[in-house]
Amino acid sequence: MEQFNYSLININSFDLLIGLGLILIVVGLSRWQNLMLEGELIVGAIRTLIQLIAIGYVLKYIFSLDNWYLILSFIALMIIVASITVTRRQKKQTKELPYLIGIAITAGSGVSILVATQIILQIEPWYEPYYLIPLAGMVIGNSMNAATLAVERIDSEIKNKRTEIEAYLALGATSKKAASSCMKAAMRAAMIPTINSMMVVGIVSLPGMMTGQILSGTSPIIAVKYQIIIMYMIAFSVAVSSLILTTLRFRRYFTRNHQLIEEAFE
Amino acid sequence: MKITKIELINICKVKNERTILKNVNLKIIGGKRYIFFGPSGSGKTTLLRLINRMDDPTSGEILIDGHNITELPILNLRKKIGLVFQIPVIFNGTVKDNLMAPYDIGAINSPPNDAELKHVLKLSGLNNNFLIRKASELSIGEKQRVNIARMLLNKPDVLLLDEPTSALDNSSATRLLESIMELSKVNGLTIIMVTHQLEYARLLGGQIIDIQDGAIINEQL
Ligand SMILES: Nc1ncnc2c1ncn2[C@@H]1O[C@H](COP(=O)(O)OP(=O)(O)OP(=O)(O)O)[C@@H](O)[C@H]1O
Ligand SMILES: [Mg+2]
Repeated sequence: MEQFNYSLININSFDLLIGLGLILIVVGLSRWQNLMLEGELIVGAIRTLIQLIAIGYVLKYIFSLDNWYLILSFIALMIIVASITVTRRQKKQTKELPYLIGIAITAGSGVSILVATQIILQIEPWYEPYYLIPLAGMVIGNSMNAATLAVERIDSEIKNKRTEIEAYLALGATSKKAASSCMKAAMRAAMIPTINSMMVVGIVSLPGMMTGQILSGTSPIIAVKYQIIIMYMIAFSVAVSSLILTTLRFRRYFTRNHQLIEEAFE
Repeated sequence: MKITKIELINICKVKNERTILKNVNLKIIGGKRYIFFGPSGSGKTTLLRLINRMDDPTSGEILIDGHNITELPILNLRKKIGLVFQIPVIFNGTVKDNLMAPYDIGAINSPPNDAELKHVLKLSGLNNNFLIRKASELSIGEKQRVNIARMLLNKPDVLLLDEPTSALDNSSATRLLESIMELSKVNGLTIIMVTHQLEYARLLGGQIIDIQDGAIINEQL
């Protein structure tokens, strides 16, 4: 990668403590203003510290691997954790839901990661973890949030529009037709945050990954190009994941004979 | 081919461990009028919903012209046996938008032209001015008629009407019943109408099927 005439400044433990000092000031602020957020702030700050240092060592270890199946396993683990996280966030957690989410995220992020690493960047070797892992993390994380929105929305839409859906069924509609407005609403809900962030990126916010690349010495022009590709990857993955997920999820409300399943509404 | 006979044989329906229908046996003859008559909670809606397969019975079978209902293509069955719900369901938009629904969902192949729209409105007792009205602003009785008109676009043989008069005052109920009569007499539709008001049952004429506690207790002419 093209480097500036720039040498990266390391951060030592003492520097981290100075950073922590900022949090302590916020804790004081919270106490002064009676926000009652002191406990959460301290726990949050400590979790940030521990979780990130831990993942730092994990990543260091993974980046040192020259072993494609361990690297792919790590990505699979990310998808599994994402699927469980989305499931936990739902009011109605069915047994098959984590699998549906897993399928949807794998399909959406898988294709966009393949295109980015194998066709655009053409990384060598094909599993080069320095590229593969951060890209996968970005795409899977965003798809996870989209999946959460998609499931929440399809469930609430179908419940709210039950009588309308039945009226369509009685007219001779398939269950897919009868629920199509619900599926559209769910897909839109899942995609709109991504579209909004494409609208304002660089104006209102500098994406974390781009900022990180610049801080570590990459030319802003290169960092920006990476960011563009990442935004497109995310948009693709979010769209495909939410399409697959809503299509799989709506089925649980209907029999094969286009009848509503009463139990699914309880 | 027009539906000429519907047979319900030993129908039972259990929901959430509650027996709602017990051993219902009934024969419906094409072109005639029937009234499901009985108190609230007796199982009239539950029974009606089995006839167009919104639900399936827990046991027993339904034969349409001798064929088991489960073996018939369901989307076509629901077009042939049109169910109009107890509480009318209105989709977004104008009355015309509502009447386009059967086409929009693919139940009918070509969009109905203005003449057809006016025809079904007239059959349901509404005039042409309603086409451009916003459907959500209609009275309940008018919504009920829009629901019937929408169902008629599917050209059903059988119309299942779940208490179409429940929200109407006496005179609008009478007018609606007259429209339904006409559908039966002029267009030869089989009518099965739910009501718990004897006067309306009498007004429609036809066979009264007395339902109590999920069982048919008596059929009278
Ligand atoms: N999902 C369900 N679980 C348990 N019981 C149910 C369920 N759905 C309906 N029931 C019960 O079944 C009985 C029959 O209901 P149904 O709606 O068929 O009555 P109805 O004759 O149409 O009454 P109404 O005149 O008030 O419309 C009622 O006692 C009702 O409480
Ligand atoms: Mg009822």
